[in-house]
Amino acid sequence: MTDLVTEGSTKPSTTPKNATDRHHIHEGDFVMFRLLNGEVRSQQVNRSGAITLGRLGSFNADELIGQLYGLTHEIVGKSLKVIPPRNMEDVEDTEATNELINDGMAVQPLTAMEIETLKQSGVHAAEIIKKQIEAHANYELKTEYSKDKYKKRKEAKFLKAFTTVEPTLFNVCEYWFHKDQTRIRDLRIDTLSQMINLANIRPGGRYLAVDDVSGLLVSAILDRLGGDGRLLTICDVDSPPAYPVMTQMNFPQHIVVPILASLNWATAEEDYTPVALLPDPAQESIKSDKHRVRMNKRKATSNLLASARQELFVGGFEGLLIASEYEPMSILERLAPYIGGSASVVIYSPHLQPLTSLQNRMRLDPQYLAPSVTESWLRRYQVLPGRTHPTMMTTGSGGYLLHATKM
Amino acid sequence: MWSSSNKIAAGDVVITWLTRDVIQPFVVTPGKDLNSRYGYYRHSDLIGQPYGSKIGSRNGKGFIHILRPTPELWTLALPHRTQILYLADIAFITSWLNIRPGSVVVEAGTGSGSFTHSITRTVGRNGKVFSYEFHEARAAKARDEFETHGMSDVVTLTHRNVCKDGFTVENVADAVFLDLPAPWDAIDHAKSALRKDRTARICCFSPCMEQVLRTVTSLNETGFTDITMYETLIRPHEVNQLPVLPSIAVASEKLKKSERKREDKRLRQIAQARAKHTEKRKRSDDEGADAEEDRMERKKTKTRNGTDEGEATTQNAWVSATTPDSLAGGDASTQVVSRVMPEVRGHTSFLTFAVLLPRVQASAPDIESALQRDRSDLSSGLSQCD
Ligand SMILES: C[S@@+](CC[C@H](N)C(=O)[O-])C[C@H]1O[C@@H](n2cnc3c(N)ncnc32)[C@H](O)[C@@H]1O
Repeated sequence: MTDLVTEGSTKPSTTPKNATDRHHIHEGDFVMFRLLNGEVRSQQVNRSGAITLGRLGSFNADELIGQLYGLTHEIVGKSLKVIPPRNMEDVEDTEATNELINDGMAVQPLTAMEIETLKQSGVHAAEIIKKQIEAHANYELKTEYSKDKYKKRKEAKFLKAFTTVEPTLFNVCEYWFHKDQTRIRDLRIDTLSQMINLANIRPGGRYLAVDDVSGLLVSAILDRLGGDGRLLTICDVDSPPAYPVMTQMNFPQHIVVPILASLNWATAEEDYTPVALLPDPAQESIKSDKHRVRMNKRKATSNLLASARQELFVGGFEGLLIASEYEPMSILERLAPYIGGSASVVIYSPHLQPLTSLQNRMRLDPQYLAPSVTESWLRRYQVLPGRTHPTMMTTGSGGYLLHATKM
Repeated sequence: MWSSSNKIAAGDVVITWLTRDVIQPFVVTPGKDLNSRYGYYRHSDLIGQPYGSKIGSRNGKGFIHILRPTPELWTLALPHRTQILYLADIAFITSWLNIRPGSVVVEAGTGSGSFTHSITRTVGRNGKVFSYEFHEARAAKARDEFETHGMSDVVTLTHRNVCKDGFTVENVADAVFLDLPAPWDAIDHAKSALRKDRTARICCFSPCMEQVLRTVTSLNETGFTDITMYETLIRPHEVNQLPVLPSIAVASEKLKKSERKREDKRLRQIAQARAKHTEKRKRSDDEGADAEEDRMERKKTKTRNGTDEGEATTQNAWVSATTPDSLAGGDASTQVVSRVMPEVRGHTSFLTFAVLLPRVQASAPDIESALQRDRSDLSSGLSQCD
C-alpha cells in the first residue's frame, strides 16, 4: 500500500510547515504534554531548546517540531521515539482472585538497589518491569484486573513517555480548568460549548464579547470563526488585553489579527473622547525622522481606535457573550443597544444569584425575549470492561448561563 | 444558511415564538395567512419588518415574536420525525469532536436533522457534512429541508444503511457521529471514512448502558484509543420574586395572640356565667357591685389593644432588618429566588468518545524491535500498532 508511507508519517520532511496547519507542532508552539500518570504540563517549543519534563528528564525540542499532535513519545537519551498509543486493555477476569494473596508476604524480591543497577547498565524500562514481574512471587495468583493495575503502576514508574495533546478548544479548556480554575472563573467546557452554540457563532458572523476569563471565551469564538468574521471585545485595561488562554491555542495569525479588535470601558463610551483621539499638538512640529515614525505609529493606533469605536456605535452585532467579573446589568445596559434584532445574549456566571437577579429585571424589559437561567451538569465515566462507572471525583459545578433573545 | 439580512423578506424561513412551548417555523409566503389562538396575521405583514420584531395581530387577539432561525431555535421548532439531539449534547459533542470551520463530518442517521443543522452552521462554507439515513421517507424530508434552508452546498445526504453498506467516503472525515441503535455495526465503516493523516475522532450516542458496552468493545477492537464516556444535561431554573420569609417572631406573636384570645373568651364566659348568676340575685342585691365589675373589664380590654399595636410594629421592624440591601429588583419585602424546574430531563444518552490516531511507522532502525515485541506482550498497555 503506497499510502502507508505518507500515512501517519511524522517526519518533518513530509509535513511541509504550513502556517494554517494546527495539527503539527510548530516552532514557538505552546505544547501540552500528558504524562503517564495523567498529569498535563505545558511548555513552549523553541528551536534548539531543551524540554524538561520533571522526573522524565529532558530532550531536544527540535525532535518535536514537525511532529503530529496526539502521538506518544518515549524519551531515549536526548531524542524521542514514537511509540504506539495505549489500547484499552481487554482484561477478562479469570478465576484467580485476591483470596490467596497474603498482603504481608515479601512479594517483591527485586530490591531498590538491584533496580538501580539494572537501570545503570542501560536496561530498558520494559525489561525492568518484566524482571519485576518474574520476581513477583504471587503474580500468577493475581486477577487480570490487579495484574493490569500492577503493570500500569510499574510502567508509569519506569517508562519515560508522554503524549502531546492537540490544542483543541476542548483540551485547552480542560487544561486550564485543572491548572487554574479561578483564572477562567470556573468556566467548564460543557458550559463554554453551550455559550458558543447559543450565540450562534459561525464563520462570517459579527460578535461582541466581554471576556474576564483569561481569553477562554475569546479563544472559543475565534476558533469557531475560523478566520472569517468579526469579534469586538470590551475590556478593563488600557492596552490590548493579554488573553493568556489564547497563547495555548497556538492560533495562526490569520485567525486572530484581522478578526479581533478591543475597546475598553472608557473608550467604548460614546460621550467620552479618548485622549488618543484629541488633536495632538506634538503632531505639528515634527523634528526628526524618528519623531515622524513615532507620530505615524501614534496616528495608526488612534485610527484603529477610532474605527473600532465607529464599528461598535454602528452596532448590529449578531450576538453578545459575557463572562465577566462586573455586574451584568451594567454591561447589558451599555452593550445591548449595539446588538441587532433576534441576536442572542448569553451571560455566564459561576454563581447563580447574579443571574437570577438579572433575569428578574430582564423579564420586565420587553427588549429581551424569554430570558432563562440554566445550570450545566456533566458526568464523566471510567470505561473499562466490567468496571464501567462514573468517576469517583468530579467537578462540583460547571456554572450558570442566562440566555435571552434581543427584540 | 437562512437569511442574514436585517429585514424579513418573502421566501425567508422564520421562527415564530408564541410561548416557550410553542415555537414554530414557516416560510414567509405572500398571500398566506397565519391563524392561531394568538391571533390572525398575513404573511405579507411581516415583509420588510426587522428580525426580532413583535407583531400585533390583525384581529387584536395577541401578538407574536418573529425570529431569525438559528440551529438552536430550529432544534426547538423542528417537526419531529424521530428522537432528536438537544443543545447540551450537541454543544458538548461538537467541542469534543473538535468540529469547527472547515471540518469534514460524517453523521448517521440523519433522523430529524437537529444535529445536522448545528454542525452545518459550525463547519461553514469550507466544511462538509456527509449525512446518512436509511429510512427513505425521512431521507427525502430531510433533503428537502436542507435545500430550503440553503444547506445543500455543505450537506450531502445519502439514503443508505450504513451498518450494512458503510459510508460513501474514505479517509476524509475529521469526525464521525453515530446516532444509531447499533453503532457497533458501523464502527469499522467509520474507521475507513476517517482520515488517517492526523488525529480523527468519533462519538457514539446511545441511551442504554448495554449499547455503550458493546460500542466500547468494538471501538477498542477496531483500534480506537482514548475511549471515554460522558453524560451531560442542562438544568433549567425557574426564577421567582417571593415575599421575604417571615421570622419565627411572627409565629410566636400569632401564637401569643391566639392564646390571649382564648383566655379572653374563657374569662368572658366566666364573667357571663357569673353575670347570669348575679342576674338571678339582682332583684335582691344592690347595683354598686355590678358597676365595679364593669369597670375592671374595660381596663383589661384597653391593655390588650395596646399589645396588638405593639405586635404590628415589631413585625415591620423585623422585615426591614433582615432584607439584604443587595437584592436587585423588587422592594425590601420581596426576594428573588430560583430552583431547578420541578420536572426536568434526567437522561438523554451516554456519549462515548474515542480517537483514531494515525498509523505510525516505526521510527528508529530497530535494535529495539525485539524488545518492542517483548514489551507488547508483557506490558499490555503498549500493544503493537496495527
Ligand atoms: C434518533 S434518530 C437520529 C436523530 C438525529 N441525530 C437528530 O438530531 O435529529 C436515528 C436515525 O437513524 C436512522 N437509522 C437507524 N439505523 C440506520 C442505519 N443502519 N443506517 C442509516 N440510518 C439508520 C433511523 O432511521 C433514524 O432516523
